[in-house]
Amino acid sequence: MAGATILETQSSGSLPAKRPVTKKHIDEGLDAKTLPVLFREAAAVWGRRPAFARRAKNSGAEKNKTATWIPTGFDALYQEGAALATALIDLGIEAKDRVGMLADNRIEWIITNYGIQLAGAADVPRGADVTPGDVSYILPHSGATACFVEHLELWNRIKSVRGDAPGVRHWILMDSTQAAPEGMLHLNDLISRGHALREAGDRRAEERTDGVRPEELCTLIYTSGTTGAPKGVMLSHANLLYALNLLPIQLSPNDRVLSILPVWHIFERLFEVLAINRGICTYYSSVRFLADDFKTVQPTFMGSAPRLWESLYVRIIEGVGRAHPVRRALFHSAYKLASLYRGSVNWLTNKNLQLTKINPVVYWLGWIFHAIRWLLVIPLYGFFNVAVLERLRQGLGASLRGTVSGGGSLPKHVDEFFNNIGIPVLEGYGLTETSGPLTARGVGNLVVGTVGPPLAGTELRIVDINTGELLYPNPALPYGGRGLKGEIHARGPQIMMGYHNNPEATAKVFDEHGYLNTGDIGMMTFTDCVKIMGRSKDTIVLASGENVEPVPIEDRLLQSPLIDHIMLVGQDQKYMAALIVPALSGLESHGIKLNDVSEAVGNEKVKQLLAAEIRKEISAETGFKSFERIPELRIIGKPFEVGDELTNKFTMKRNVITEKYQHLIDDIYK
Amino acid sequence: MEMELMSSAEKGMLALMILIIMFGMGASLTGENFRYVARNPKGVLIGFLSQFGVMPAIAWFLATYLEFPPAVALSLVLVGCLPAGTTSNLFAYFSRGDVALSISMTTCSTIAAIFMMPLLLNFYGAPFAAAIDIPNADGTEFTIPIKDIAVSLVLVLLPVLLGMTLRRFSEGWAKAAEDTASFFGIIVILFLIGSFLAAEHRRELLFTTGWNVYAGSILVGVIGFLFGYIISALVRLPPRYCRTVALETGIQNGPLAFGIVLLAFNDYPQIMNEVLWLPILYSFFIVITSAFTTMFFRKIGKVDHEIYENETVQKRLFGPEWVPVTN
Repeated sequence: MAGATILETQSSGSLPAKRPVTKKHIDEGLDAKTLPVLFREAAAVWGRRPAFARRAKNSGAEKNKTATWIPTGFDALYQEGAALATALIDLGIEAKDRVGMLADNRIEWIITNYGIQLAGAADVPRGADVTPGDVSYILPHSGATACFVEHLELWNRIKSVRGDAPGVRHWILMDSTQAAPEGMLHLNDLISRGHALREAGDRRAEERTDGVRPEELCTLIYTSGTTGAPKGVMLSHANLLYALNLLPIQLSPNDRVLSILPVWHIFERLFEVLAINRGICTYYSSVRFLADDFKTVQPTFMGSAPRLWESLYVRIIEGVGRAHPVRRALFHSAYKLASLYRGSVNWLTNKNLQLTKINPVVYWLGWIFHAIRWLLVIPLYGFFNVAVLERLRQGLGASLRGTVSGGGSLPKHVDEFFNNIGIPVLEGYGLTETSGPLTARGVGNLVVGTVGPPLAGTELRIVDINTGELLYPNPALPYGGRGLKGEIHARGPQIMMGYHNNPEATAKVFDEHGYLNTGDIGMMTFTDCVKIMGRSKDTIVLASGENVEPVPIEDRLLQSPLIDHIMLVGQDQKYMAALIVPALSGLESHGIKLNDVSEAVGNEKVKQLLAAEIRKEISAETGFKSFERIPELRIIGKPFEVGDELTNKFTMKRNVITEKYQHLIDDIYK
Repeated sequence: MEMELMSSAEKGMLALMILIIMFGMGASLTGENFRYVARNPKGVLIGFLSQFGVMPAIAWFLATYLEFPPAVALSLVLVGCLPAGTTSNLFAYFSRGDVALSISMTTCSTIAAIFMMPLLLNFYGAPFAAAIDIPNADGTEFTIPIKDIAVSLVLVLLPVLLGMTLRRFSEGWAKAAEDTASFFGIIVILFLIGSFLAAEHRRELLFTTGWNVYAGSILVGVIGFLFGYIISALVRLPPRYCRTVALETGIQNGPLAFGIVLLAFNDYPQIMNEVLWLPILYSFFIVITSAFTTMFFRKIGKVDHEIYENETVQKRLFGPEWVPVTN
């Protein structure tokens, strides 16, 4: 196959003239108002520097052979992209068309994205785990006129529903190791054709690029939300490029970014565009090779999810547990000193979590205490930091300067652990609707337990869920409304254009002042950081008008060995109830031996056991209010599954579960 | 001073710790350290010049112009003539220097010290020795016990050879010895300060020591850093080599000085305290000044370190024919 086209820079003419890298480029990135112009600028300024790197096939398979990687330069990437754009234009793709991209992170992804953008079209990205159901909804709804498909496995899964998207005139296969079947074009053929056209003087890609305006649609990302049908989030070039410069970490062309999260999510996508903006090479990793890549690539930065940090945490703690007693003692001393040191530093610099107002007398007395403790600890901490903690950091890749964790909240103990041992985990908060970041904790402002302060140009409001009253910023309230819990509303240049072809949903999510309702509950802490406390859409409002946050109750019950999954119901009803998937291992320890969960349905003993467990856990004694008690339950005989009842992030799709088990709910409240 | 600075039990402890440190130092050395010298002769050569050409001169200069008492002056020159210490490797790492160069320089200077130290000590120390007013054992005028110093140097370096032998046979045990030694490096200073502060008459020494002696024991390291950096920058070594050479020049092998003094000055109890006191002060202050210098180097070396690291990683990942793009 013609896989080599990706590697070898074919001079099909008209690379933008190379310009020298200036200090401004390194400090502030490139000056571009649209994504295709950014791509062209990157080729002009960063030139032959590596833009993306991928593992060579079969590398690492032989023992003791270091993996070799294949780099693709910014100029080569642009030429491939411009060739693809030309071929797409030649196929009849118009400016402002939407083009689907069903693929995961790989070099062909970024080339395809270059091609779509340089042709003046907008992309509709989705991962290779997309379901036929999603394809038959998203492609026609977005009005896509062409669609890229990662590989034949995916094609075979979705080709049966291609009739649902009659607007898609071209299906294009991306994997260069596979041949295109009947009815499909191949990416490599398009690129070759584009090169030929450009050699003959075709400059339509440049014309299209220059025609794109910043406020036009750049990407259309369908969210697999927990409620309702997927909604197409429209992000403009201006949205994306504004969000890019919000991240509170300074990166230079000498950084190395590891790519592990799915690129079709805005979170990872932003890091890849950021890397292009800053002349940084992005290294495509995968879960399988992650540990290896940490060592060989020595990334300085990466986007990450809480699960990565949790598993690293567990690995380190287990490693320490197995270590020689002397080493174990050294580690524990070092960690204790580090937490004392960080604790004092946080107090002295007023960077600790403050959900309630601290009495100034208490604060300053504490300040004196911490100042003394800091002075006492620092020489010992200095020694242990150098001698013990540095080795731990080396094990995780000594070069890692920080990472932004997103896509879920980081458990507090994990958060504290990594910040204490000196690996800053910069937690951020945002939605697809906000092109990523609304708030983020920067280095030097790591208030553990929060998602940091609002970023530049971002206006946040905290609004009372029931009354709609403005809580923060509200000078009429004590402390301007800090410490009050409510729904988070946001406004700023990174907020989406709206939902595609869905004016009702768009109108519902924006208020009259242009603030977007994030649907998250949180508060502004007394150190002006945002703390996220739940989802407002999960809130169950009982017939009595009482609001119940189901997540904390469910989380508590999930710790029971008897319960595998649990969802609370009770919207508009007199009392709460639970739908439960029991855990077989837990039942077995109570002498109930079942072969399958389905056998638990109708088993009175199981039901009584669960009811007793709930009564024990959720009661006045354990701090729950009377209306939060759960007097009724029904057993579900089938575990929840990702893609069905669960999202990719293992959160429950409450609407799906409600719909599916409506008969059980009706039975409870009949 | 009538009282002894250290009891014989304390001296024994000190000797044992020095033994462990030197053994650990040997255990950390591999053949690679010597091959590295062959590949990068320039860095090591500049380091050698800086260590044995400049440091003793700085010590002599400070002792002369700060008007040290003769025995203390001799001790400062002794510190100036020492080879590089093992802690320099740790500081080189944290200052974003070149650890391989640091280790190679430490190794080379330690071996060269067997010849260079007696030579240099004789040259720079003679004027101070002449001013020391105590007789030798045979009643003649005081001279530097060069022969004893050479012998004690060999004796103290013997464990280094043993450590290297261990490395050849068992890497695991060598690593353990290395770890233990780096730990003892800190302990020995704490031990000396602790045992020192424990007794009243020794605490007095803190106040009777002149400001000039304090200044000299601090400045010898700091000026060493400065000259090490300037010399290597003048011959256009890359910045990370400059940082390494600077630290390597200023950081001397303190424990070696204790060992030499204990062995070679046993016949001169009158000046033993004075000669031992200065290396203690030096060893204490050098940890602090090195820490600050390292922090400073880390800051100024951030960008060139990142460039170097990125090019190294890319060369490794993309193959030897890969040429980093500088613009």
